[in-house]
Amino acid sequence: MKELKVLAVLLIIAVLVGSSCQVPQEAKGVYISGTSAGDAETLNWILAADSASFGYIGHTLDSLVTYDNEWNVQLRCAARDVEVSGDGLVYTVTIRDDLKWGDESQVTAEDYVYTMKNLMFSDWLNYTYKSDWQEEVNGETVFVTPEVVNKTTFTITRRTVDPEFIYTVRTLTPYPKYIASKYEGDVESFTQAPEFNKLTYTGNLGPYKFVEWIRNDKFVVERNPEYYLGTDTDAPYFEQYIVKIFGTPAIQHAALEAGDISYAGIDPPHVAKFQAMEQINVYTMPTTGYLFLAYNLRDNGWEGLKQKEVRQALSMAISKDLLIEKVLIGFGEPAFSFIPVTSPWYVDKGSAKYGVESLLDKEKAKERLVETGHATQRADGSIEITDKEGKPLKLTLITNSGNDIRENVGYLVKEELLTIGIEVELKFVPWATELRKYLMNKVPGTGQELRYNNGVGAVSEESWDLMVMGVTTLPLSPSGQDVFYATQGGLNFWGYSNSPVDELFQRIRSEEALDEGARKQLYAELSQLVAEEQPVNFLAFQLANAGFQKNVKGIEPGINMGYNYHLWYFE
Amino acid sequence: MKKTWLRDYIIKRLLYAIFIAWAVLTVTFVMVRVGPTSPADKYLSNLAAQGQDTSQVMAAIEARYGVDRPIYEQYLNYITNLGRGDWGWSLSTSMSVMELIKAHWIYSFQLIFLSSIFAAIIGILIGIYSAVRQYSKTDYIATFFSFIGISIPNFWLGVMLILLFSVNLGLFKTYYDTSLSLLSLANLKQLILPVITLGTGMLAGYTRYTRSAMLENLRKDFVKTARAKGLPERTVIGKHVFRNAVLPLVTIIMFDLGSIVFGGAYLTEIIFGIPGLGQISFNAIFADDYAVVVAVTVISAFLILMINLITDITYTYLDPRIRYD
Repeated sequence: MKELKVLAVLLIIAVLVGSSCQVPQEAKGVYISGTSAGDAETLNWILAADSASFGYIGHTLDSLVTYDNEWNVQLRCAARDVEVSGDGLVYTVTIRDDLKWGDESQVTAEDYVYTMKNLMFSDWLNYTYKSDWQEEVNGETVFVTPEVVNKTTFTITRRTVDPEFIYTVRTLTPYPKYIASKYEGDVESFTQAPEFNKLTYTGNLGPYKFVEWIRNDKFVVERNPEYYLGTDTDAPYFEQYIVKIFGTPAIQHAALEAGDISYAGIDPPHVAKFQAMEQINVYTMPTTGYLFLAYNLRDNGWEGLKQKEVRQALSMAISKDLLIEKVLIGFGEPAFSFIPVTSPWYVDKGSAKYGVESLLDKEKAKERLVETGHATQRADGSIEITDKEGKPLKLTLITNSGNDIRENVGYLVKEELLTIGIEVELKFVPWATELRKYLMNKVPGTGQELRYNNGVGAVSEESWDLMVMGVTTLPLSPSGQDVFYATQGGLNFWGYSNSPVDELFQRIRSEEALDEGARKQLYAELSQLVAEEQPVNFLAFQLANAGFQKNVKGIEPGINMGYNYHLWYFE
Repeated sequence: MKKTWLRDYIIKRLLYAIFIAWAVLTVTFVMVRVGPTSPADKYLSNLAAQGQDTSQVMAAIEARYGVDRPIYEQYLNYITNLGRGDWGWSLSTSMSVMELIKAHWIYSFQLIFLSSIFAAIIGILIGIYSAVRQYSKTDYIATFFSFIGISIPNFWLGVMLILLFSVNLGLFKTYYDTSLSLLSLANLKQLILPVITLGTGMLAGYTRYTRSAMLENLRKDFVKTARAKGLPERTVIGKHVFRNAVLPLVTIIMFDLGSIVFGGAYLTEIIFGIPGLGQISFNAIFADDYAVVVAVTVISAFLILMINLITDITYTYLDPRIRYD
């Protein structure tokens, strides 16, 4: 009897102890992530300009912070979140004190400041994203000023306020000064440096360590037992992580179905098939990409498009729900501005919702076009659009060939506009041709270099009226879309210009917007204004589908699904 | 005597090959460098998206790659480096061009070599059988499948084979696994589907060529004489007819081998995820990676010339009447 009591007590203690500790997962297996989006170009991040390169490097090198699916800050190399002074000019960064380079030496604030001053801001290396770290002061472009405070703390000082600069600061990653200084000033040596091309310097800065990169085949990393976030949890839990490159999505899908890979993105037409498979979990998630129909507002587009009412009328004739159903096979959300629902700055109220509900009205669209004087009504009730001389004309719609979704959007737009009597001629051209002949422009008869926005009077080599495009937006800082919608925007190739829109972009990046409530109000005004103005027809935000083998656990589906991928494991 | 003229012939052809390779190098270099695109183009969208003065930053990036200098200077620099054995740095893959080619040629070679052997052996055997049994059921079946084999596109056949044998039957992996040793049986096994994919078209072609060449020779007088002499049919076909029929076949097989080196296996490589030089060179063209494009073109041209030389020498052994002096 006494033994039974002792046993019972021991059992209770065991259960209590067991329930109070998190049982660490065992590291096992090889996780293979399939991609058909192409290989990376470099592992030397400062030279990279493609997302695949940053993706590879990211397995071995963490930034200061990352975000979960609700955009909450998750600390990585930073010991605490970036602190911003009350006047919005000084950013203080404190890094962890247990970060180590490959030679076991400590990663210090000096490394971060060196990376900025001597590499990112240098003349000899031509860092592609250096403008993110520049500001306009008295008409002059200058870099922000980084300074070391102590071994783990540094500051970055601006001379002008930009409340959204913090999102840039949080992305910082360092180079080791002790290695990089050997190559300083010699771009060829820096480009070919073995330490940077084989990621031997990354120490405990990422969940994985570099093993090999076979071009056009695979990128292989192995579990980093020293990972600073793994000291308490033994994470990560995959022995190896492989990015496998496929030449076509069809084979990538076949590999997922056969169980040869752990993950693959799934194209909309195949989602139902994978959802029906027992061994696969399919997650549908929002993305930051949106489709839009650009109107050529430059002098070689139909002049009617320059009038807001005409653009509104065209947008009223194209059903966004139909587009999502037919083209995106249900995997999309209607878009009414460039701010996605997942953005903390999204405000639903007050924006005109062209293309759905009461603002999807083909009769009203026809009436409005006739009222503007750019169309005449036929006896059968349909309309005919006309040029300056009143002659009937067809609109030309451009998109890049080989992109099924954009081509299908083109067909749908053609059908929708035909229902109100507008004829559209489709032209699918190679991407390089689209960029050089339809997007880039210059003022005719001048020696201007071709650019995406050469200002008033500039036109593209070939004329066009409508263009189906897709771009991504940053949900945390949608003001970055000023490149498309501000008069001086570098990618405003269709020539949109509206002073109140320009002003709102500027105010969002001013002292006034340091207060988050005020910034949200400014974003609300901006999205209402562009929804009303229709500088483009915002069509839809696309949803992505990710297929995983069922034994992959720990996934939190969402817009930043991979934020905790070092905690994923095989069951 | 034969040795002397053959040696002189080989030396002459080698010198000729070097000259052609240099000409190919120069033409390719000029064509790639005077084109309207630049290796810095990949930055265009990003830079414009940041509202940067693209022309200024593009110029800086072109300076980073050394493509801003006059073309003759770039050419002289390239030739000087080549003289030192340096084929340059691949901008799109971030490794030296020679290292890149060294690491990837074997994947293309093993695929092309095995496909050629597979296609030549089976194609020739079927072709001989078809010719000997002309207008038989077997001949009709072989002809039917030959036309199918010639007509089926590589990419379609590859995808179908993967769906059937890898996804449904689970007999093979869906992609080529580079972690397996090249000399292992497992590697040979995983090459079965790619070899069938690449080899089917070639096989069908060889079957047709062999059949017609055999039929042509079967009708000749020396065959009748051989048969009249009472030689066994196997000796007549194998020694007399086939030996005469094989000469044009060698040309075709060698020509195929030469034409698919580096580029021709591209689609098969893409489908099965084989990181061969077909993929590497194709991607390099789109990335304006001129160092890779030039190196692959020159090496490819040189190899084709060498294959032609080997073919010509083989002729002299297959047909002793042929001399090149």
